[in-house]
Amino acid sequence: MARHTGRGIAAIEYPTGMNQNGDPSQAWVKLKPDGRVDVFAGTVDIGQGSRTVHTQIVADTLGVPYEWVTMDNTNTDSSPVCTGTFASRGTFIGGNAVRYAAEKAKERVLAIASKQLEADTTDLEIEDGEVYVRGARDKSIGVSDVAAIATWVEGELITGTGAAFKPFAVVDPETGAVEIEPHSAISYGGCVADVTVDDETGEVTVERLIQVYDIGRALNPTLVEGQVEGGAMQGLGLGLLENCYPYYPSVEHRGGEFGTYLAPGIEQLPEIESVLLENPSADGPFGAKAIGEMASNSQAPAIAAAVYDAVGVWVTDMPITPEKLLRALDEKAAGRPESRRDGKRVIYDEELSINTVGAHDAAVRFEY
Amino acid sequence: MKAVGARLPRYDGVEHVTGRTVYVDDVRVPGTLWAKALRSPVHRGDIRKLDVRAAAKLPGVHAIITYKDVPKNVYGHLEALGVPADEPLLAEKDVRWKGQPIAVVAADSEEAALAAVQAIDLQIKEKEPLLDVRKAFDPKAPQIHQWGNWFPYFGGIDQGPDRRKIRRGDVEKAFAKADTIVQGVYRPQAIEHVPLETQVSLTVPEANGRLTIYSCTQAMYFSMGVVAAHLGLPLNRLKFVGGTVGGGFGGKVDTATETITALLALKSNRPVKWRWTREEEFLCSSTRAAWHIEIADAVTKDGWILGRRTLTLHDSGAYARFSPYGVTKHAFHHAGAYTIPNTWFDGFVVFTNRVPSTAMRGFGVTSVSFAVETHMNRIAQTIGMDPYELRMKNASRIGDRTPNGVTLHDPSSVPVIQALAQASGMELSADLRSMTNAPRSGDLLPAHLVGATAKGGH
Repeated sequence: MARHTGRGIAAIEYPTGMNQNGDPSQAWVKLKPDGRVDVFAGTVDIGQGSRTVHTQIVADTLGVPYEWVTMDNTNTDSSPVCTGTFASRGTFIGGNAVRYAAEKAKERVLAIASKQLEADTTDLEIEDGEVYVRGARDKSIGVSDVAAIATWVEGELITGTGAAFKPFAVVDPETGAVEIEPHSAISYGGCVADVTVDDETGEVTVERLIQVYDIGRALNPTLVEGQVEGGAMQGLGLGLLENCYPYYPSVEHRGGEFGTYLAPGIEQLPEIESVLLENPSADGPFGAKAIGEMASNSQAPAIAAAVYDAVGVWVTDMPITPEKLLRALDEKAAGRPESRRDGKRVIYDEELSINTVGAHDAAVRFEY
Repeated sequence: MKAVGARLPRYDGVEHVTGRTVYVDDVRVPGTLWAKALRSPVHRGDIRKLDVRAAAKLPGVHAIITYKDVPKNVYGHLEALGVPADEPLLAEKDVRWKGQPIAVVAADSEEAALAAVQAIDLQIKEKEPLLDVRKAFDPKAPQIHQWGNWFPYFGGIDQGPDRRKIRRGDVEKAFAKADTIVQGVYRPQAIEHVPLETQVSLTVPEANGRLTIYSCTQAMYFSMGVVAAHLGLPLNRLKFVGGTVGGGFGGKVDTATETITALLALKSNRPVKWRWTREEEFLCSSTRAAWHIEIADAVTKDGWILGRRTLTLHDSGAYARFSPYGVTKHAFHHAGAYTIPNTWFDGFVVFTNRVPSTAMRGFGVTSVSFAVETHMNRIAQTIGMDPYELRMKNASRIGDRTPNGVTLHDPSSVPVIQALAQASGMELSADLRSMTNAPRSGDLLPAHLVGATAKGGH
């Protein structure tokens, strides 16, 4: 009986936006008479902080302080269409919708400022709530004043709408090929897991997760780290703990409460080190791609590899519970090989295959 | 100061951690009725009798709905994407999973609603369930779904094929050329979303005839469309209020309660709230699917992956919900972060008698990432190659094409793996340290990959 350490690696990719597209997000931006900004969009915040990120995008697109911007995503009467918060689409597609809307509103701000400053709109820029003539910074007017003039002099509501949408990508049913990209971007990531395995109890402890993600650009690094660290814990749960059907395919022994369903808790929290690389995307707001979903995809395979590194057995029927690990160690101790050689084939997990479990005359078998 | 790139605090962070955020269950409207459901006690069976008359007479009961009360009981969430409808909102002739809703009561209190649920006369003839996706294709398997045991319409409404196919290059040739064929089985399990906030909605019938629906949905417009379709109402009769969710992770794309509270509110002309217990959330809310993935890779002794065959069986549970979408997404990513010029993929949506599975963080891809990455580590071990080198060699480069024919503009597995090595203290060889994601050339463009770049065909 001993404790063994091991390390494993995994590298992944993940698409941004709904598979096959066809998922619009729309937004509306308007200015109050003092230049403060209201944003209406339907992006639901499921804890990832999308309201904050959308607000940041609008603030920088318009060139006004972050504090000037308020976002309302509370109801379908005031907010235009958002397909939903899923498919890692919030920052990219929802973010582009508010960006496009803010760009339209900015055009109106510049048009009114241009009259006031007697300068062409293309010579104007907005920063920190002030419209400047490029190269002559003493010639300026506040966005607040522009909004006031629009309201009380010009009789105009400064507003803009935006819609982010990529058409549906038809899939060839025979080859799977698509005519157009079925996503908005692809993010990349990876994980190195360090584990300790107790070969007497079968318990696996994740000591450290080192993670790298290239998500184009982190619009709010703190929120990205929140996704990355929370995702790491969900990935750890997938790898070691969680299962609705502990003896799948049996439907017995389902956990119906927190005490009997093993979700990861703070006691499992390993040391987490995260590195964010930034290779900006071509089309995302300020170069962003998605992080939301992929954050829980690399840990389980890295943990499985680390367990192999530690004790020399593969558990691919997830999660790696003490029971499964001890059974695998027993098999190994009994001298039963993990794989079978057949010519140039090396066959693992034969006992789990549909070819073993299903009938010989079944309609589907794994043909190779 | 630029906002983008700044470490700004969450807009609603302080509200959340001080308990001031108003979630759906915090919304209290005078006169609200409480809903409770009669759910299937068996995994599979035929409904022989469903009589709510005695239950309806109990004190405090205002409305009971069954399938008869739903204008359009069977509605498919993905009909717009060509996935036909199969799931009833409330069970009509049969039940296909333990916990499937059959009738829902609205009463003055949750206790009164529960008492009425228990007074409903339900008789079911139990039938043998199908639970193992690997046995669904057997000639003697129980036939559990009107379409057969697996989803047959990957080509659109009433259109085959019965599987999501990816066919690229010449897999036979790749397998013939391989030095080693590595084969394995990968089984990511079903898991719960485990949100702190259980499924909940409150529908308030307004004096002007509109319904205000307080919802924990992750997708207000999507859920509004689902409710409108079941009820046959134009969108201006509905107002969804939401946008703040106490944990979703994909499970709250399901529109689990909103249609029911809307129907009960219309029938009783009172506000109705349905909040699931923790036990219902665990046992009756949808889960991440269990997956069964078999991979065989044709590998050369110097670590090139020439070809891949994959069979995926997705345990959809009793109905299709979003599963065809998930399997398609899974199929698109079955080569992972690598370029494999010859692939043959078959993915099935298999029905079983368990709670329908649904979207969850990483939908379709978490499973294939686990399978592919564990398989990569096994290939490295089997042929005696460093797992970093195996990955970087096969990693997608600018101009490479995915199995479904997408040209990659900015793949960054190479820099990601380099950064991982650096952060973990792993010494890479000089060759690997200087590698980039630039288009393939020289040693990294062997003959078998020439057709895999943008210039080649699909």
